[in-house]
Amino acid sequence: MRKVLSNKWHIMVFVLPTVLFFTFFVIIPIAMSAFYSTLNWTTKTKPTLEYFVGFKNYIDMFTAKGSSFPDAVRHSLLYAGASVFLQLPFSLLLALLLARGVKAESFYRNIYFIPVILSSVVVGQLWRKIYNNDYGLLNLFLRAIGAETPKGGWLANKGTRLWATFVPVLWQYVGYHMLLMYGALKSISPDILEAATVDGATGPIMAFRIQIPLIRPMLKVCLSFSLIGSFKLYDMVKILTDGNIGTEVPATTMYREMFKSHNFGTGSAMAMFIVAECLLFTVLLNIIFKDRDRERSR
Amino acid sequence: MKKNHLPIGRALIQFFLIVWLFACIFPLYWLFSFSLKDNSEIFGGNVVGLPSQWIWSNYSTAWGAGKISLYLRNSVITTAATLFLTLLLSFMASYGLLRMRWKGQKLTMTYLMLGLMIPMHAALKPLLGILMDLKVLSTHLGLIIPYTAFNIPMAILIISGFIDSIPMEMEEAAYIDGSGVYRTAFTIILPMMVPALVTASIFVFLQVWNEMLMASVFVSTDNVRTLTVGIQQMFGQYQTDWGPIGAALVISTIPTLVLYLCMSSQVQRSLIAGAVKG
Repeated sequence: MRKVLSNKWHIMVFVLPTVLFFTFFVIIPIAMSAFYSTLNWTTKTKPTLEYFVGFKNYIDMFTAKGSSFPDAVRHSLLYAGASVFLQLPFSLLLALLLARGVKAESFYRNIYFIPVILSSVVVGQLWRKIYNNDYGLLNLFLRAIGAETPKGGWLANKGTRLWATFVPVLWQYVGYHMLLMYGALKSISPDILEAATVDGATGPIMAFRIQIPLIRPMLKVCLSFSLIGSFKLYDMVKILTDGNIGTEVPATTMYREMFKSHNFGTGSAMAMFIVAECLLFTVLLNIIFKDRDRERSR
Repeated sequence: MKKNHLPIGRALIQFFLIVWLFACIFPLYWLFSFSLKDNSEIFGGNVVGLPSQWIWSNYSTAWGAGKISLYLRNSVITTAATLFLTLLLSFMASYGLLRMRWKGQKLTMTYLMLGLMIPMHAALKPLLGILMDLKVLSTHLGLIIPYTAFNIPMAILIISGFIDSIPMEMEEAAYIDGSGVYRTAFTIILPMMVPALVTASIFVFLQVWNEMLMASVFVSTDNVRTLTVGIQQMFGQYQTDWGPIGAALVISTIPTLVLYLCMSSQVQRSLIAGAVKG
């Protein structure tokens, strides 16, 4: 068997196609993006070294007059904050409530997960209807109770547009985080919970002292999903506001720079910035959670 | 566990859980009722209620004039081909990476896992050029190729985690019986891998079926356009007629919903596997 499984030809047939495919359509394009990001490449120039400008695009996208990229990055950080401080605690609360055992536990869990599998087109269009200025559910409700509605509509009003764009995404993925946390909570040994109950731990004390510390590894997964998701945010913003001023995020600004303004160099620099941001946050989270993970034997 | 909180606390918890339940199920209800209404009801007359007249013709309008049948066909072709290619390549690679013995196994695995951290946004422009050079832009392959490439790392992660749990004795017996490497991999190991393949398929299916960015950049003809982008375009064209758009949204959601209704726990498991990639 050793012979069969270390036969070079067999190994090549099994592994090489995938490696080549991946290299050609994932790694090489990323490397090309990195290269493009150092060029002054527009419709008038070509992607050759002749137009090499070094880090100029990276500086320009933050400092050039009228560049919306700093705002886009700021928005994505705001979204990340909202996700970490609102969405995750809410999901955790749902997970804790479900995991302690309520009637029809799995029914709730299955329904809570439905928004996650719906496409952004469906979810986005639903929320556009909810936000609609004239006949949207939100405004109908506000008018019914005699409250004021934002001028120009939720998605256009200066004060509301950014959060109105974020709420649907936050809402959609609550079920996802809830499920991850619920799974982790359910895998805590009943003995531990039993012992804690005997010692008099109830509800909140049980949650904060026993359950939450024990699911730390899963909380890390949720955090990294939230943070990385916040930099990749695209579909929903595109559908809700088309990434218009006041609601732009890095990916929509990159798209615009690339395919509307045809500034391929700057667009590529933005793309690389998104990649770098994702990597940076992954590394940061790993450092923050490192000590605990080491204790946990795999 | 002991239930020692006050009845009023328990009632509040139930109430809270039920409110959120409605918040999650509402989109499906809204989608369905909206697909059977006409404009006068959608615009103000009857926003939340069931349609006063169930206009099933919205579906035939969407199907024919709205080109939904075409977009659906395209989505099915693209998704099915991506699934087949991704699973085949990932299974073979996983087998080669975990069962065969060679130098650089670990390094190759790490290399492929790099793909998990790279958002596909970052490759758009170069991919556009590469696909153009290959003359596959605005063909089904123009989406199948990048979708497969970007889904391979995740599929390998799921599949290789499972291969590890199959005892080596299975293959030893096969090889002693004189079975070749291809026969062993495809007729002995592959059938045992079904749960992992299902998990990977669901994950890939949801990614591909709902994908919008590449589908809008790499495709410029209706003959190849997939549902997400196709429907998104209808919003521009049929401003006046919303019912059929609702019907289109329902049609595009049915495959996902059926999948979820039939195997909700597998769907949940596969998306968990997608998150716990580390």
